[in-house]
Amino acid sequence: MALWEIKNVALRGVTGTVPNNPVKSAELDIFTPEDAQLFDDTVGIKNRYLAPDGVCASDLCCDAADRLLTGLGWDKESIDVLVFASVTGDYKTPPTSGILQDRLGLPTSTFVVDLPMGCCGTLYAITVAGNLLSAGTAKRALLLIGDTASRMGSYKDKSRVPLFGDAGMAMALEYDTTAEKIAIEMNTLGSGYQALMTPHGGYRHPIDQEKSFVEEDFGNGIIRAPKDALINGMDVFSFAITKPPISVKKMMERYELTADNVDYFLIHQANKLIVDRIVKKLKLPLEKVPYDLQEFGNLGGASIPMLMTYNLANELQTRPLTLLCSAFGLGLTWGTMLLKTKPMVICPVSYMSKG
Amino acid sequence: MTNLDKLNKIFCEVFSVEESALNSEFNNCKVEGWDSVHQLSLTSSVEDEFDIMLDAEDILEFTSYDNAKKVLAKYEVEL
Repeated sequence: MALWEIKNVALRGVTGTVPNNPVKSAELDIFTPEDAQLFDDTVGIKNRYLAPDGVCASDLCCDAADRLLTGLGWDKESIDVLVFASVTGDYKTPPTSGILQDRLGLPTSTFVVDLPMGCCGTLYAITVAGNLLSAGTAKRALLLIGDTASRMGSYKDKSRVPLFGDAGMAMALEYDTTAEKIAIEMNTLGSGYQALMTPHGGYRHPIDQEKSFVEEDFGNGIIRAPKDALINGMDVFSFAITKPPISVKKMMERYELTADNVDYFLIHQANKLIVDRIVKKLKLPLEKVPYDLQEFGNLGGASIPMLMTYNLANELQTRPLTLLCSAFGLGLTWGTMLLKTKPMVICPVSYMSKG
Repeated sequence: MTNLDKLNKIFCEVFSVEESALNSEFNNCKVEGWDSVHQLSLTSSVEDEFDIMLDAEDILEFTSYDNAKKVLAKYEVEL
């Protein structure tokens, strides 16, 4: 069983940056006004911030990281670990985390790693960095989680375009012997990998001038080429409403959690249908389940830290909270994290203009 | 309003069609625009209307007007 209880590690701060390019559903070319209304009502994503060409996840994360380090008053020389959790790195090689070490002016002694784990990115980043810090030889970690998922697919794919927004988040972890343990449970269903994938561009099917760019019309407004990321909506929906609630329930039983002793349930903001269903299945009190998908769309791995920044800033800054976080996506992977926080630094969301 | 009337109303609203269009040919292959958003909108409305919670496999089965009736029968919704 993939369960960690990470001791001696505290979350010190969170913030995030989005491109200053808000786009309402009705402004998307793929929708008629009626389609846009149905989408807003059903899927719940009414707005998203889209990165223009040339803006990468690393740019958004870099802005967030700089602001967070300033907010924390941390000397850059004190950073030991840098994690970049993203499926939209700058290049196929080298890892973007190395580039970010240089851009952020972190010391060459920094341990860096890329984690291309999609919507579970935050859980993976905390699992990896938390375990690296737990022994106390490394003291501080910067976790950068972000994607420009809007740039991964075809702009003519109605099943994908309206779902995603772009963002880059920064989280700061620190060795602290007084910290409550962070418990994380992770799962994998590799047989479902085709539900969310980009068929061409890896080494199984390298980019081929004759095949990778040829668009196919799949009907219902879905036109894409093999180089484009795809999402099989019904398969993902079926997975997301089935597996994550079991994991959440398991963690609640293991740690004797109830709707009363958990302050907030942070559920990956895939879409309203999925989140609503998980809430209903687990019988969670709605006032303890914040939503931000109406404003940002599905932010992939950045979803959970964005909920912290956008919805819970005041409380996270001023009082201890018990958070139960559920993430699921690419892989297919899913997991649940129990995070008990102390008051921390939350810098407001930044809206970054190009250049 | 009977349960069948309620089901028909949901279909008509989600797909913007007249009730006369609902027959055994009304399915995801023949109906223009029947995508995952429409299907999930349909199942979500059905759950609200009949106060039931569909299993994932039943949501996936909701691919035609006839199948919708079969699925609802499993949940003891009399049509």
